[in-house]
Amino acid sequence: MADLEARGIPTVGVATTEFIEGAVAQSKSLGIDPALVFVPHPVQDRTDDELKQLADDHLEAILALMVKG
Amino acid sequence: MTVLLDPTSERSPTVRPRLPRPERLEGLTIGILDIAKPRGDVFLRRLGERLNERGLAVRHYAKPTNTRVAPLPLRQQIAAEVNLVIEGLSD
Amino acid sequence: MTDRLPQDGLVAVVKRDCPTCVLAAPVLGALARDTGLTVYTQDDPTFPETVPGRIDDRTLDISHRLKIEIVPTLIRFEAGREAGRTYGWDRAEWQRLTGVLGLGRDLPEARPGCGAKNVEPGVIERLKVRFNETGLKSRRIEIGADEDEQEAMYARGWSDGLPLVPPTEERVLRMLDGTSRDPQEVLGLVPPDLAPATVEKIAVNAVMAGCKPEYLPVVLAAVEAVLEEEFAMHGVLATTMFVGPVVVVNGPVRRHIGMNAKGNALGQGNRANAAIGRALQLVIRNIGGGRPQEVDRATLGNPGKYTYCFAEDEESSTWEPLSVERGQPSGQSAVTVFAGFGLQGIVDQKSRDPESLSRSFAASLRAIHSIKLAPACDALLVVCPEHHRTFRQAGWSKARLYEELYRLCDIPGEELIAGAKGIAEGGPPSLAGKTVNKFRPGGIMIVRAGGDAGMFSGIIGGWSAGGPRGSLPVTKEVKT
Repeated sequence: MADLEARGIPTVGVATTEFIEGAVAQSKSLGIDPALVFVPHPVQDRTDDELKQLADDHLEAILALMVKG
Repeated sequence: MTVLLDPTSERSPTVRPRLPRPERLEGLTIGILDIAKPRGDVFLRRLGERLNERGLAVRHYAKPTNTRVAPLPLRQQIAAEVNLVIEGLSD
Repeated sequence: MTDRLPQDGLVAVVKRDCPTCVLAAPVLGALARDTGLTVYTQDDPTFPETVPGRIDDRTLDISHRLKIEIVPTLIRFEAGREAGRTYGWDRAEWQRLTGVLGLGRDLPEARPGCGAKNVEPGVIERLKVRFNETGLKSRRIEIGADEDEQEAMYARGWSDGLPLVPPTEERVLRMLDGTSRDPQEVLGLVPPDLAPATVEKIAVNAVMAGCKPEYLPVVLAAVEAVLEEEFAMHGVLATTMFVGPVVVVNGPVRRHIGMNAKGNALGQGNRANAAIGRALQLVIRNIGGGRPQEVDRATLGNPGKYTYCFAEDEESSTWEPLSVERGQPSGQSAVTVFAGFGLQGIVDQKSRDPESLSRSFAASLRAIHSIKLAPACDALLVVCPEHHRTFRQAGWSKARLYEELYRLCDIPGEELIAGAKGIAEGGPPSLAGKTVNKFRPGGIMIVRAGGDAGMFSGIIGGWSAGGPRGSLPVTKEVKT
């Protein structure tokens, strides 16, 4: 993500809630403040329909981080 | 850990700020980068469909493996082809 | 640490690498035995052998806290406070302080001490940083454990494109040693953000640029000069034209810091030339917030915007230095800043007399910016030693050359009219019948620089808004 932003491409990351601590630590050590949306863990054992629902549920949050304001 | 003195007028925050975002997404191309964790593709493909429904141009990309950073040619290609990126699904 | 210091009692600080400490070692041994003297050793924990209970102060924490400057230092504490100290070996003083008579009977009466380790250059800065006594006010930026220092500085936008020296607290403290000025003294407000340029902030940028502490006074003078209203720094930064500040250094400081006024003076390779000019640019970028494609709208810019600083070749010149011409006392170190760009080379390897050489110079001068524009801009003419020799041998003063060049830069108005010579650029038809000079009065400055071989002088072009309504050159004294 930091690499793409360094190339001028605003980036939004999507991660499961399991990744929150890791994201905070990595951000601190890299000196960045990434735009992140968290979806509830777990992901790996969900059905296709559940995953599509997760995407629908978090679309607005993702879009909000892609525009100004 | 190295401590440096700030050479600037200190009017901006110390953490590297995010890139400014555009006012609106119309007319822009959105890249969706699958970082290759299991099942992330279903989630991301659905995001892509929903964005298409809103009339937004979407391009899908995928890392060859989750265990390494995206290869340089892929990053360069993405930077050349899209205006914004959604990257996922980390856990 | 401080709990090791006695409430009441004697303390001595020594180092092995000090003949006086070695001399006094037996006395220290006796005092340790008889009065409970505590001895701290700065360099070698096996010294002094005469004091088995000596304490290792190689970290110099105690020495720093006690503000030791000379070893040996002997201190007496009473009720937790210092009641007196003496340094070096002096029988009378040691006896007075300790209350013990007959010390060091076979020693000389007195022997001076040596410099203490904790005040050696480099060490004192490290200690100040460790004890948070730097007095530095700039915000601290912590570089993450996984961040590369260079990438971190690039990512924060501090760089002109080239690598920077990381401005650690120690480096900035050492840089500030290069001046006696107060680190919080404000030299002015830097455009476009109009942010205050303190000596400290300038020092941070000077470190990044690669300056040595002894360059700092020159950097400070250059910053003061560009912040003078008549230099019009905001305009110089914001213009679509080519210019950036060019710094010419005069006076003894050139030799003191090893600047280059000779071969390749306007090129690369000399640290002082390179770093001083660069420090000024970094100040504009980082303190002022002036950056390309933001407030800096230069279409092409010019390579001098990385750094453009050189020393005038004053030695054996028959011409007065630029600073003297501009009012500084002879022998005073000074900088002159000029809104300039590039280098237009003048090749003349055949002129044997000053008249011919002047015509050569003038023909090139007339082409700055455009042959169709007059007045065009100011110009800084850099005359190489071989060309200067031609004028010197003919007995031409600088004033004589100025006079000749101005005369030769009078242009018939017809040549300047838009459309003349098949070029659309130019002025109104009313110029017909008039004579226009390429330069405003005072618009040419002359300096001598360059290697001794080569008949190649050069013109540093100026800004079309040069002059009283735009940018005027400014000369400032270099203050230590």
